[in-house]
Amino acid sequence: MKTRMTGIEQRSVCDGVNFRSIRDSRFKTVRMSIHFLLPLERQTASSHAILPFLLTRASRKYPDLTKLNRHLAELYGAQLDADVQKLGDVQVLSVSASGIADRYSLRGESVSAELSHLLCSIVFDPPFENGMFPREGFKQEKRQMAEQIDSEYNDKRAYAMRRCEEVLCEKEPYGVGRLGSREDVRRLEREPLTAAWNRLIHHARAEIMVLGDCDPEPVYADFFAAFHNLGRTETEPCRTQVVRSAERVREVTETMDVAQSKLVLGFRTGCAEPEDTVAACKLFSALYGGTPNSKLFLNVREKLSLCYYCSSLYHPLKGILFVQSGVERKNIDRAKEEILAQLEEIRKGNFTAAELDAAKLSLCNSYRTLSDSLDGLEAWYLSQTFSSPIRPPEEEAALVGAVRDEEVRAVADGVTLDTVYKLVGKVGAAE
Amino acid sequence: MNPIREIRSERTGDSYYEVRHASGLKILIYPKPKNSSSYAVFGTKYGSIDNSFRTSPGGAPQRVPNGIAHYLEHKLFESADGDAFARYAKTGASANAYTSFDMTCFLFSCTANVYESLEILLDFVQSPYFTEQTVRKEQGIIGQEIRMYDDDPQWRVLFNLLSALYHSHPVRIDIAGTVDSIAKITPELLYRCYRTFYNLNNMVLCVAGNVEPERVLSLCDKMLKPSEPSYVERIFEPEPEHIVQARVEQKLAVAVPLFELGFKEPCGAGRATTKQIAGTDILLEALASDASPLFRRLLDAGLINEASFGYEYFEGPGYASVIFSGESKDPEAAEDEIKKEIAAVRAQGFDPATFERAKRAVYGRNVAALDNVGSIANSMVSLEFAGRELFTYIDEVAQAEPEDVLKRLEVQLRPEYSALSVVRPLRPAP
Repeated sequence: MKTRMTGIEQRSVCDGVNFRSIRDSRFKTVRMSIHFLLPLERQTASSHAILPFLLTRASRKYPDLTKLNRHLAELYGAQLDADVQKLGDVQVLSVSASGIADRYSLRGESVSAELSHLLCSIVFDPPFENGMFPREGFKQEKRQMAEQIDSEYNDKRAYAMRRCEEVLCEKEPYGVGRLGSREDVRRLEREPLTAAWNRLIHHARAEIMVLGDCDPEPVYADFFAAFHNLGRTETEPCRTQVVRSAERVREVTETMDVAQSKLVLGFRTGCAEPEDTVAACKLFSALYGGTPNSKLFLNVREKLSLCYYCSSLYHPLKGILFVQSGVERKNIDRAKEEILAQLEEIRKGNFTAAELDAAKLSLCNSYRTLSDSLDGLEAWYLSQTFSSPIRPPEEEAALVGAVRDEEVRAVADGVTLDTVYKLVGKVGAAE
Repeated sequence: MNPIREIRSERTGDSYYEVRHASGLKILIYPKPKNSSSYAVFGTKYGSIDNSFRTSPGGAPQRVPNGIAHYLEHKLFESADGDAFARYAKTGASANAYTSFDMTCFLFSCTANVYESLEILLDFVQSPYFTEQTVRKEQGIIGQEIRMYDDDPQWRVLFNLLSALYHSHPVRIDIAGTVDSIAKITPELLYRCYRTFYNLNNMVLCVAGNVEPERVLSLCDKMLKPSEPSYVERIFEPEPEHIVQARVEQKLAVAVPLFELGFKEPCGAGRATTKQIAGTDILLEALASDASPLFRRLLDAGLINEASFGYEYFEGPGYASVIFSGESKDPEAAEDEIKKEIAAVRAQGFDPATFERAKRAVYGRNVAALDNVGSIANSMVSLEFAGRELFTYIDEVAQAEPEDVLKRLEVQLRPEYSALSVVRPLRPAP
């Protein structure tokens, strides 16, 4: 059965596999993707995470990476991409294909038909050698995954955020890195990956999205055939654990040879999907530290000149919120005090109707902007995977727009500080 | 009157309008009526490299502190009656600004109240307001921005490369300056730079998205303060053709080394033409894209990874270099491989299939970029300052011939003009 809402059409391919499409000729591009969802677990995180990277390397028809990439270049610079992210305590393993719409091909080729076949073939028919992923590809992807983890250490802002997440969610699956740990990657072996791939295609919940200027019917037909050939049985459930409030504040400080120290505060909000308070919590986060008019920007940055950035980030699926900033070592405590003082201001209702309206307008603007890009639409609808019914961005904008100030105060009242993570520069280092 | 010219692209079916406004401002409007959002950029041809100039023919050279263009960008958001972010808060627009080597741009993106937001943009950029106190306040904020970049290995590895390639061209200086250089910035200096470079004849406005050109223009008629073209002569010390040093290295708290390998080109006063840029883009795609033999060899040897390896044509007033970059456990070995492949291409050229593939890939990606109003508006402003044009560029790519592409090697990718910059871990990997 197909259902429609403002441009998005959705249907089921088989149990646990959904197909969503938006056909819109104002785009000059197409984007099709399949996202597999599995519970995030320390033991399996790395062996799952490597799969999208292995899959996008080769197909049976194009068993060689360079030949595959040449084929994509011929299709006017089309791309196959692999991605791994966390959606609450769920690991999302994605493979996507994107390229220009057929009408722009210089020689009349159908880019979209080819991308659809290619996407199905790389996901369902890898070029196995003796029932395993090819040795050379495995070796390269294992190395590259270890380097991706190292690279996250190179970016201090991202590193500090990840460490705070790890500490905050130490006892929850969310504390596991999206790629697993470096040690887990080092221990990866080729043989068990075939079983991991089988678990993925047979038992993981899957979300397929086809967006942009192309007819979704042939893509649906390709995926329908592929999934029905598999004869899927049961789909593994994905759940997210929500800790509603902090019992005590944990402080972790690490030192490093850096010029600027980083401060990340991790909070429990007590508001998580699918509760009704989520819209109010989104608005709270925007008012607190989500825009250049927010409490944190105007006070920690503009009034006290303590930092260049100080912002908040709310994860509605987990019900957690982070505040991050980069400051001089000597100013860390001053910044922390001010961040908490601004939370207190919101709790006391010390914000104007104009401030609240500004936060609403800003959030609504970002939701409405999503519909202008295929990436934005994909990310939005993926974030809606666990919502029932799914909401288009405009509906989310309307929900946020209807939040009242007492609801924001109530949310702020329920926010508790759980973790304080500091990455401090060595005294005298790099001064 | 404001003569309006429509610029059409047969290939993509898109078009935009170009207007030389009576105030002196060049205005570009790219309507996308089915879009929800609009994106506007108000930019001036003034960046970090413009730190020495004359304001009258034969006048005394004026040297201003490094980082002042970026400082000015921050300070323009404040006016006598409050700051621009507070005004945008009433329209819901998402606003920002950036300073690069050769331009400063103020922008917003919005899905409602586009004309109100445009009015704010046009107003605050034309209304400087600097006092001792507001200027001082910004030092802590920009100081932390500079400190953040001090820890950013990708930023450091680029600036180390630029100082290894360039002897005197100010492109070697960090865009934001240093904590010391910005301490010398005063309201008077900011006003002087503002008057010199924020002249409408030196600026461009580009609006892309869900807008009506007539309404944009009538708002411009209301808001723009006509300005006489001012005299400005940018002073660049002569830059020798040769490089400063072939190797530069820094140690930072990183887990994996990073490199940038740059090839310096001789540069006159003019910018590269649209045809030359198209040629270079196809050349680099054929040489080093993920479909190339070079990429595969580097990958198989464990010398690069797909997530970080890249290349760009880094080109602006008085500087041009091709730069390859990425993370590598052995940057010197990566450099050797890249140089070997360049020598082979110089000797043998590309086979026709490689050329055709590279051309298609560059073409397709540029057509795809027309989906994004932000990408359109930002590109059009930077193309305008460089004397180039968006649709002509796409046509030049689609029509390029192998000779045009190989001709670029006469001045590009010459190994004797190359330098390698590396950032290594403080301690060896465990």
